[in-house]
Amino acid sequence: MDNNALIRRIIRSKETYMLLLPGVIWFAIFAYIPMYGLTLAFKTYKANLGIFGSPWIGFENFKYVFRDPAFMESVWRTIWINLGRIVFTFPVPIILALLLNELRMQRYKKTVQTIFTFPHFLSWIIVASVLINFLDMQGMVNGVIRLLGGDPVNFLGNTTIFRPLLYITDNWKNAGWTMIIYLAAISGIDTEQYESAQLDGASRLQTMWYITLPGIMNTIVVILILATGYIMTAGFDQIFNISNAATAKAGEILDIYIYRITFQSAADFSFSTAVSLFRSIVNFVLLLLADRICKMLGSEGLFPPIRRSARK
Amino acid sequence: MAEVRTIPETSGQTVRRKRPLHGVEPLDIVIAIILGVFALLIVIPFINVLAISFVTQQEYLKTSILLFPKEWTLENYKQMFIDGRIWTGYRTTTILLLIGVPINLFLTTSMAYGLSRPDYPFKRFFIFFVVLTMMFNGGIIPMYLLMKQLHLINSLWSVVLVYGINAFYLIIMMNYFANLPIALSESAKLDGAGEWTILLRIILPLSMPIMATMTLFYAVDRWNEWFNAMIFIRKGNLTVLQLALRSIVIDSQISQQLNVSNIQTDKQFTEGMKMAAVIASMLPIMCVFPLLQRHFVKGMLIGAIKA
Repeated sequence: MDNNALIRRIIRSKETYMLLLPGVIWFAIFAYIPMYGLTLAFKTYKANLGIFGSPWIGFENFKYVFRDPAFMESVWRTIWINLGRIVFTFPVPIILALLLNELRMQRYKKTVQTIFTFPHFLSWIIVASVLINFLDMQGMVNGVIRLLGGDPVNFLGNTTIFRPLLYITDNWKNAGWTMIIYLAAISGIDTEQYESAQLDGASRLQTMWYITLPGIMNTIVVILILATGYIMTAGFDQIFNISNAATAKAGEILDIYIYRITFQSAADFSFSTAVSLFRSIVNFVLLLLADRICKMLGSEGLFPPIRRSARK
Repeated sequence: MAEVRTIPETSGQTVRRKRPLHGVEPLDIVIAIILGVFALLIVIPFINVLAISFVTQQEYLKTSILLFPKEWTLENYKQMFIDGRIWTGYRTTTILLLIGVPINLFLTTSMAYGLSRPDYPFKRFFIFFVVLTMMFNGGIIPMYLLMKQLHLINSLWSVVLVYGINAFYLIIMMNYFANLPIALSESAKLDGAGEWTILLRIILPLSMPIMATMTLFYAVDRWNEWFNAMIFIRKGNLTVLQLALRSIVIDSQISQQLNVSNIQTDKQFTEGMKMAAVIASMLPIMCVFPLLQRHFVKGMLIGAIKA
């Protein structure tokens, strides 16, 4: 009886399924087949047999993966670089949002906000091109340094400056955009709170500290947790375009390691896939944890807009 | 400097947040300066690029801080066209946009509308089917092997198809559709219209703002596309714009760091040409930026509230 009712409902909904069909086919081919393709990690890839036909070999590939010192180094490097991002780039948009919110000159405010958000829409290739021109030995920054009588600094080819360079350029491109999320959160704060604070004679800095900041604390926590969720994956586009031969080693995060062993040398696809599977699983677990923690704290978890900005 | 301000009894309380008062406090100036410096740090590199793209070689070599050329020239842009790589990039990326964005819109709209329908069997399963791909993916290697098996390597179709639906956009759109009044589609259904007809005739005309937003989202993503193109396409005459720019600017910088090609063999002024290429790659984004700013912010808020 129940089964029949279900079948009837399915038949009645057939047009809805037709709407879903093109998208479902796309996801099946271009998301789920590659997902299944991760099983290559347990196979030895034979080009003529393809993903499905290659023979199984168990955990063989992983033995070699964990024996490759470059692999473990890249894992730790990824974690350190991205923890550094949390310290040096995560707070910047919050500060910008708080300051911009206090700015009372409306025209100026709009102009500044427009400028801040612009670089977000450019690719890292364009941003890297602009900043390389600005920072290299013949660039304008070194021009100013020379003018002031200093020695030019090789900002781009120096491994010790490399990480600060990543954080600075990351802020340069994305801080203004993430700021928008916080501004949106600020605009959602109840105005009554400000009014009563004003009646109590609170100064503007006090209002900022005791009302605005707590008012956006939820958003701050969500974005922080999400940033932690992306700790294994953030930064490929940036590092790939900012680094050069001199800094390649300092910038070899896991994704770049995978790219190097797969596409820049004689590829062993099974080996690469084993690394890739490791990455996907760690990433998945981190995101799941992040999502759970967000929900535990009463927010909506991984909702799309914030994920979007966390990813770029 | 504490804020001792007399507050008029009746209307004064809202004044502070609505409209600037006449008196500018030191705090305002400090904040304005901090934000102004940050803004300048963003703008100056762009002005520098723009200036170099219009400058002559002599002036470039003489001035180290270049924000406004004394003598303007279009020579660098001419060199850029002679070089040809940017042209190829423009052509490929335009094709990519013209084929790719309509496919994106078709796949995203139909699925988003399907998902947003109330109450059909396995609805939760289909949503999970989408959300899982946001959290777990196969990565680039299985994708590369799949493209190889589909014989799409070195074909633009690989880049078109690999980015068919962005799950985040799909969910934003699904939420938008879910919030349209249900009566709209119900009454049409009573008149015997099918779901596709309802989508095309009734829902889409009401969804122009979100369609515009999606078109912009996808167009910008396609314009900035390079990674998949780098992996799947190794043919020089199908280089996408971003990679063309990369080969002009970044690759030469990489070899400079290696000290391989420090001696410039020809007398061409490459710096100006490179910056002209940067400007050419940025121009369309700059043109749609005002629209982008409005729509992206709006799209983000829609998602944030409804998701």
